[in-house]
Amino acid sequence: MAQQKPKPPGFPDAPGKETLVGKCFQCHGPGMWMDHRQDRKGWEGTLYRMVGRGALWSEEDIKAMADYLAAAYGRKQ
Amino acid sequence: MRELVARYLSRSISRRSFMKGLAGAGLSATAAQSVLDSLVPAVQAQEAARVAPEAVKVIEGTGALCFAEQLIATGVKYVFGNSASEDAQFYEALVDRPQLKYILTPHEGPGAAMAAGYVKASGEPTIVMQAAVVGLVNAMGQMFNAFKEQTPLVFYSYRTDQTGRAGRDGFEEVANQEGIVAPLTKYSWLARRADMIPETVRRAFKAAWTPPYGPTYASWHSDLNDERVRTEVILREKFDPRMRVRPNPAEVGRAAKLLVEARMPLMIVGDEVYGAKAVAKAVKLAELLGMPVTQARQIFASFPETHPLWVGALPVGRIASLDYPKDPDVVINVGNKLQHNSPTPMVGRGPKFIDMRIDSWSMGNVMSTEVPLVADVGYGLDDLTAAVEQLLNASLKEKAASRANEVRKFSERAKVLRALVTKSPDWDRAPMIADRVTWEVALFADPDAIIVHVAGSVNLHGFNFDPERGRELFYYYGAHLGSGVGTAAGVKLARANRQVICLVGDGSFVFGPTALWNMARLELPVITVVYNNHAYSGPHSRVIEKVPGGRMVQTGHFFHDYLGSPDMNMAWIAKGFGVEGEVVESPAQLKAALARARKATMEGKPYLIDAQVARMGVAWADKPWFPRK
Repeated sequence: MAQQKPKPPGFPDAPGKETLVGKCFQCHGPGMWMDHRQDRKGWEGTLYRMVGRGALWSEEDIKAMADYLAAAYGRKQ
Repeated sequence: MRELVARYLSRSISRRSFMKGLAGAGLSATAAQSVLDSLVPAVQAQEAARVAPEAVKVIEGTGALCFAEQLIATGVKYVFGNSASEDAQFYEALVDRPQLKYILTPHEGPGAAMAAGYVKASGEPTIVMQAAVVGLVNAMGQMFNAFKEQTPLVFYSYRTDQTGRAGRDGFEEVANQEGIVAPLTKYSWLARRADMIPETVRRAFKAAWTPPYGPTYASWHSDLNDERVRTEVILREKFDPRMRVRPNPAEVGRAAKLLVEARMPLMIVGDEVYGAKAVAKAVKLAELLGMPVTQARQIFASFPETHPLWVGALPVGRIASLDYPKDPDVVINVGNKLQHNSPTPMVGRGPKFIDMRIDSWSMGNVMSTEVPLVADVGYGLDDLTAAVEQLLNASLKEKAASRANEVRKFSERAKVLRALVTKSPDWDRAPMIADRVTWEVALFADPDAIIVHVAGSVNLHGFNFDPERGRELFYYYGAHLGSGVGTAAGVKLARANRQVICLVGDGSFVFGPTALWNMARLELPVITVVYNNHAYSGPHSRVIEKVPGGRMVQTGHFFHDYLGSPDMNMAWIAKGFGVEGEVVESPAQLKAALARARKATMEGKPYLIDAQVARMGVAWADKPWFPRK
């Protein structure tokens, strides 16, 4: 089944990527956050909004994903 | 000729003698047959009155009076209507029929939503009346919702064109008016004569209220309302087929065998469970098998969300999106329409699928169905539970208990994880995040509150719906917007002793606020909370998902989503309709406003809170660009 998941183009390999791909791609394609740039707090807020939408993630999962997204999709300089 | 008719009606002469007499009077065979046909209703009425005087009443009066009498005989207490001058004789009939209450709704759309809310909350019949085709088309949005939601709602509007001048493209005339609604109704019909109005109305109610439920439409030329006739009115119990179907016993046996032998069965519940008042039966079957339970999008919550076998609603429309169980081998659907929004079947080809529904038309269309169980789900669950009980031996019971324990561990963990929503770094901000508004309302709501939820971009959490012992959910399924306030008003009309809270987005709210006026006029103390982010946030996100990296994102030029500048003040709109309200920005203000709302509702007054919600997500600017002239 794993090979049928959408391929995440442009997602750099880094700690937290596997968690992100495993969790977020349950519902989303990669299009949404490829366009998004925000700091870590912003990403953390986004991830907690997904908890409000039914995502069952631990605080550790959220921390790993927020760290990853802040590094890969942080604010443009 | 008159004497001949009188003798025929009094049964002094036979039908054959009557026809002979007509021929003797110089009528052709065709004309004589026409006269005979015209007497059929009167003959039937006489016969019915003789046979069952308590169930069949023969009445004389205008067509509209007969209409009103048939509504009363059908059990209708409320009529939801908008002013229609050609219904004058109907209004005249209402004066001496106080048991039929007319609720004037200032717009047909929210009026129909109010009627639908009343039907869903009371289980009692009602009718929506509009002025000709011009009012009908306003109501058709909610007709669409009723069709999608399978709500038994009857619509009526006359044809302004009278029988004597139809077909001349006259005022408010459109050809084939009753045909306009055909794709959205189970039945639509034009009464051909005034004395057929009650029969047409009976058919409309019968079709609407025979499962699978749905809206129907009755119409007639406006002059038929004014014509004096003698016809019969029949009590509902004498024309309602009261269809309740038990499932095929052979299929029940197959389903039971699949379920008891399953490694990991999964139950999906839906609106038919709530409608059949069969929630406890669904719980019993799930407990017997230690079977996890989920629900795809529907109107009602149909399983107690605090139950240890509840694993949460489907995050997206397929069971593969569930966190648990990840690999069910048998899936049973009990009463869910399973609305498909993607080419992917909600239940994949892997698991064996049992479909228990009364709506056989929607079975087997997308999913490969191992066992179809066409049934009233109340009976279906009874029979299936009995069959499962017969098959369960000690070993299978042990397996079910072990599975139940596994499911319980997941549901306890899920409960902890769902509560993490309060850890958001934005939790205390103002304007608020939508989750904070939801959280505060969930804390505030009565233990048996009814939540009317029409905030499309908001996922509810914390309410712990329990439809038979606690809070109930009335969600919107049809998705024609503008139904929220009207639905809540109708629900409150039906369930006066329950707290009713309407949750609605600003975009949806402005499609249909007029039912606030009905709340004020009828003293329906509903609390309305508007999630006001001054935007269509759902469409905002979805266009970005469809056009990632496109010019809209690059430039920040979104044409379709920003509703601010000027910002709409929903509390002022409410005040215009006679409902007190206020705007709140922070969690503390929201809590205080909810307390004021409770006080107002305890005094019998509705209340509205315009909760300012932050626009969060991709490509939102503090001051969004918008197109100017």
